[in-house]
Amino acid sequence: MQRMSANGSVTSLQLGSVAGAEKPDVHLLPCEIEHDGPAEVTRYFTAALKDRKHEKSVSFRGRGLKGQEVSCPHGYTGLVLRENHKPTSDQEDRTVRVSSVFHRFTYWNLDTPPTSDDGVVMAMAWPEIAEAIHGLVDD
Amino acid sequence: MTTKKKRSSNTQNDRWVAIAADSAVEASKVGDSGPVFVRLRNPATDAASLYLFGSGDSQLYEVKAFNEDCHSWFVGQTVQRDGRLLYFTPMDPLFLLLPYLMKAGKEGKFQPVQQVVMDEDYPACTRLLSCSQTQASLHHVAEEKEVGSQKFHRYSQEKTMEWLKKKVDKTVRALKTSNISVGGGVKSMTYIRAKQESDAREEDYLRYAHGLISDYISDDLSRELLKALGLPEISSPKELEPPSKKRKMSDRPVEAGEDYTKFNSADFARKPPKKMTAAQKSLAKVDKSGMKTMSAFFSPKVKTEKN
Repeated sequence: MQRMSANGSVTSLQLGSVAGAEKPDVHLLPCEIEHDGPAEVTRYFTAALKDRKHEKSVSFRGRGLKGQEVSCPHGYTGLVLRENHKPTSDQEDRTVRVSSVFHRFTYWNLDTPPTSDDGVVMAMAWPEIAEAIHGLVDD
Repeated sequence: MTTKKKRSSNTQNDRWVAIAADSAVEASKVGDSGPVFVRLRNPATDAASLYLFGSGDSQLYEVKAFNEDCHSWFVGQTVQRDGRLLYFTPMDPLFLLLPYLMKAGKEGKFQPVQQVVMDEDYPACTRLLSCSQTQASLHHVAEEKEVGSQKFHRYSQEKTMEWLKKKVDKTVRALKTSNISVGGGVKSMTYIRAKQESDAREEDYLRYAHGLISDYISDDLSRELLKALGLPEISSPKELEPPSKKRKMSDRPVEAGEDYTKFNSADFARKPPKKMTAAQKSLAKVDKSGMKTMSAFFSPKVKTEKN
């Protein structure tokens, strides 16, 4: 092989102990936060969260957010994957590991109440559709 | 707070949020290597896309990114800027094998698949042959011959069309039981439900399913499949002309009601799947991470970002 293509490298997924992994609260926010890393989520977000019957609401940076909890589709698990060592070239094999696990998460809309039309809710139907597209067909 | 700046940090991420099939993350058997992400030739784009092999390479998974603009995650006491949600769902390896089989099929002879499925640009493609679904379903797209203990295959377009049509059928059924609005990307669910009984529905489902399947096959096969499904192509300029013009050209009498509904249904069905497929393809090409994005299909309120 003369030219090593970047497509030859693989990325291993280290499962570690999926069952024993940390299970953090997970929120999907309707804004981009230009930060990666630690934040006092409990103190400044979760503490202000109101959880009424079918609707969650919270004030975040002066904006009213309305949220809803969604569960991972049946047979699926939420994973947070993490890469500890960044590769120095695109030909290097890489490793990502499961750093935490979740089974449900809360997504938040800006102002509008959550509905079944929301993209995230629709996305939860993907495994079902994918099974139809990719499952074995009868002879 | 809603910055419009494009995420440039995506490619340097060190953390991802994903939803994975349990089978992909079950503890591997002793001796198996764990799951691995590899790049393989995407049959629809011919470019590299990311896929996942389950432990022991027996199961292939597609890696899709559900992506809406301006989103970020809170995970525990941390912020993750990249608001994408990845999906690892089981994938039929035949879709990825098909281009290799078709290429070899041009020689017209029966060959062992091991000889056919080789790609110096994508060396991991040989792993596809270890998938249990490959062995169980090669006969759907190829004629099979057994000599001694060795199997030989030859691509069959006819069989492949039958196989793809069955996939479309299954997908239509799944779409019907799901809550996905197939009619138009911007129509609300209530609108769709009210329309449930109308004639337009069946063709909408067919076209939508065809659009979904077309994400896994070449343009040529996609066109052939459209024909095989009895759906007229809708991209030609002639078809896009309003019915009044067409009627004039075909010199038929103008009847008020009849063609009007037809036009509606065609128009209704025409735009969304076509547009989405194209959008999805271009996104798949642009995304440097090699993950296919699915936002176009699953977020009815997503605006076409053309401005």
